[in-house]
Amino acid sequence: MATNQTHSKPSLFQLVLLVAALLLVTVVTVPAAEAPDTITLNVLAELYEPVVFDHAMHADVAECAICHHQTTGQPEAGSRCVRCHSGNETNASVACRDCHVAEPFSADYMRSKEVDSERYHIDMPGLKGAYHLSCLGCHTEMGAPTGCQECHARTAAGDETFRADAQAPTGGNSH
Amino acid sequence: MKQFLVKGWRPVDAEAKEGQETLTLWNKLWLGLTFRQYLSQAVRNPFNWVIAIIFAIGIPLVLYRFVFGLGAVTHSSNDYPWGLFLSFGLFAMVPLSASGFMLGTAVEIFGRHDFEPVERLAMLNGLLGYFFAVVFLLVDLGQPWRLPYPMAVAFGPAAVLFLVGWHVATYLTVQVAEVSVSFFEWMNWPVCKKFIRRITIGLTVSGIILSTLHQGALGALFTYAPGKLHPLWYSASFQWLHFLVSAIPGGLCMVIVVSTIVKKTMAWRCDERFMANLDRLTIALAKGASMGLITYLVIKLIGVAHDNEWIYLSTGWGSWYLFEMGIGVVLPLILFARGIRYNKVGLIRFTALLTVFGVVLNRLNTALIAFNWKLYQDIPHWKEITISITLFTLYIVTYRFILYRLPILFEWKTQPAEAPEAVRAKTVCPTQSNPSPAGAVYRSRD
Amino acid sequence: MSKISRRRFLAASVAGGAAITLAPTKKALAATFEGYSEGMGVLVDLTRCVGCRSCEAACNKEQKLPTPDLPFDDPAVFDQTFHGGTQKRRTTEKAYTVVNRYEPKDGSQPVYRKIQCNHCNEPACLTSCFVNAYTKTREGAVVYNSKVCVGCRNCMVACPFNVPAYSYSSAFNPMIKKCIFCHETRLKQGLPPACVAGCPQEALTFGHRNSLIKIARERMRHQPGRYIDHIYGEKEVGGTAWIYLSAVPFEEVGFDTTLQKEPILSNVKDFLSTVPMVLAIWPALFSGFHLLAKHKENHAGDDHQNIDEEAHK
Repeated sequence: MATNQTHSKPSLFQLVLLVAALLLVTVVTVPAAEAPDTITLNVLAELYEPVVFDHAMHADVAECAICHHQTTGQPEAGSRCVRCHSGNETNASVACRDCHVAEPFSADYMRSKEVDSERYHIDMPGLKGAYHLSCLGCHTEMGAPTGCQECHARTAAGDETFRADAQAPTGGNSH
Repeated sequence: MKQFLVKGWRPVDAEAKEGQETLTLWNKLWLGLTFRQYLSQAVRNPFNWVIAIIFAIGIPLVLYRFVFGLGAVTHSSNDYPWGLFLSFGLFAMVPLSASGFMLGTAVEIFGRHDFEPVERLAMLNGLLGYFFAVVFLLVDLGQPWRLPYPMAVAFGPAAVLFLVGWHVATYLTVQVAEVSVSFFEWMNWPVCKKFIRRITIGLTVSGIILSTLHQGALGALFTYAPGKLHPLWYSASFQWLHFLVSAIPGGLCMVIVVSTIVKKTMAWRCDERFMANLDRLTIALAKGASMGLITYLVIKLIGVAHDNEWIYLSTGWGSWYLFEMGIGVVLPLILFARGIRYNKVGLIRFTALLTVFGVVLNRLNTALIAFNWKLYQDIPHWKEITISITLFTLYIVTYRFILYRLPILFEWKTQPAEAPEAVRAKTVCPTQSNPSPAGAVYRSRD
Repeated sequence: MSKISRRRFLAASVAGGAAITLAPTKKALAATFEGYSEGMGVLVDLTRCVGCRSCEAACNKEQKLPTPDLPFDDPAVFDQTFHGGTQKRRTTEKAYTVVNRYEPKDGSQPVYRKIQCNHCNEPACLTSCFVNAYTKTREGAVVYNSKVCVGCRNCMVACPFNVPAYSYSSAFNPMIKKCIFCHETRLKQGLPPACVAGCPQEALTFGHRNSLIKIARERMRHQPGRYIDHIYGEKEVGGTAWIYLSAVPFEEVGFDTTLQKEPILSNVKDFLSTVPMVLAIWPALFSGFHLLAKHKENHAGDDHQNIDEEAHK
């Protein structure tokens, strides 16, 4: 349940495998200019197929800070972040998953938040929340696709969970 | 019955007819007729045919409810958990059954022995009303076989319904004990009767306590639903008092209504004492009911003022509220005043019916009509209505069965020597509006 | 037990009781119950919900509920109305949570609102139950024991949020059906309920109720103007474990904003407090009336003198 992001391996000798690897594999610990073209996100891979995120295209239409806050060293003007984060430094990691945890409601994570009374970010969304809040917010504003299956196809397990088998009888659910 | 009366038959009213041997239980069960004779009169009575038709439709529906569940016969829903069974069967039947404790208090506690001719009728009315309220409840409960659970298995003592359950159960026991005196006379078990007589005061006082609490508790049940019940029918502070106080005219007027029906349809079963005193007692009961009604009117107004709900009176719900109060409280007060002033017993009897209607309307409004006023109006399913009518018919049939037999409307003559004493009661003028001094001549006890 | 030992036992009890009673403690009991401090809750942020109904699907799966009439991704349910168009969908025996769509008055984007049991701090269903079928667990869930339920449905009458549903269709084992915060299968293991885990937007934030209120305030502070200045459920009917933030007035999205701040139980206390008083005072009062009446009777005239004595011997 975490993003699958590993270094690419150019030594692979089969073309098919190379293409597949390019889809799956990305480099994140690089400056903005060296950002990956695509990132495969499979946090919801249980009910949905992984998302192949066209990072290059999105980097063309939006400022880094829209998604990456101050971490890329280009904070939004007047951003709250710069009060504490210097703003012109690039973080060691700008990957979403390095701050936004995959299991935000695990007992351990919640305890670690509560124990740390100095902690400022008490309301940081989990990884899944961060993706969707960030993506859907923009998509709605820009008129980009917002349907669930417009970004990621549902798996068989997803069909089962959503009871795609349900037939629509006349009437409705009983009250 | 009339045919047999013409032929000189008189219903059983003593352990033995003069000069004859003791009657068997079988004889008493058919009122001294043979079974065949009894059956023939029952078949001739058109009212029995109406009952038969109701039962023919209704009893299969009751069975249907128990086989296919509540959902199959009622419109009870997730929004309207309580339908007609409870709003009519429980919430309306219970106040009309307050008569038992009212008359018990008047006779046993305050020593108004002049009320004795109707005391037993009031007691029976109370017992049957409560019993059938429980029958209605059993039909409505999801798992009626678990009814004893709050007494034995799991306890929720902070719940109002826990009080209602315990009080209704204990009060039913008290009422069975009170009415059992008549049964013991009929069965000729003087020892048992003597025992009950000895604990009468205890029974009566427990009756007052239990009635105060659970008549009130039925009202207090709605304090759980402040947002759901229309403010005009809801009062966090006074709901239980509204229910308790309205039960007083409700119970008393029910006695007037039932005694009127009895007088019209069952005169052969009533003895001289009952018939001769009834008009006078009807007026006396109406006085009590009027006092209850005026008190009720005042505390209802206080309820509106206390929560500052005047604004609601100008709405549609306000008109409905004013209709309920007008037809069920204000109009009866005016008519009772006229009836009492001019000794118009007929008017009083009609007014009592009106008051009973008013109390029933109030309970239906509280539990069903003005409940969920912000959602939508629930209309009971026709099967729900039919089952309610069936159960109410069963109530009437049971009522009649007991009135025919037990010494409720007449005195049981254990020894022929007591007869002259009973006759004494006849001497009182029937329309005398001023009751004679307490306990003057009305005696039913051995 | 012999008389002596019973007496000794009583003496010991009295002494013990006196010792406890006379001990100079200054600790007073709280007048109201405001929930267990470690109780969990969920913060529902209506501004985040997109109406995907993943929560409904997750709930259906977790609680092994029957197949719905329409698939969970069918937006047609948002157009369903009931009872002459007055009612939107509600919780039923087949659905412990439902999401409804509302069109705000200002014509902005539709708002979606999730309904489920709010798991009150002092639940009306619990206090109205005469067989104690409900329990407020330390984890914050309001759970229900169908084994003792008689089916009086008082809890449904009492619930200010109209949440509990009843399986009216069952003839032999009908029971209350409602959200139980996934208590047995998840909450007890420290896991968030299935709906929270399934929410892609983190419109549902799981945590200690106390922390969630801080988070809710934090959101209102950091995004001025985004939210109505009210945390629904913080105070309503004594506080609920599930609390809500909204950008539009709560009454426009189906919330009852007329609810009292005190627990429902406080309405009933007036009556409950009269019960022991009636039990204690009435016997003496009415026995006294009886004695007075009897006394009067005995002195009223020779004719009546024996009647009562005879009757009550």
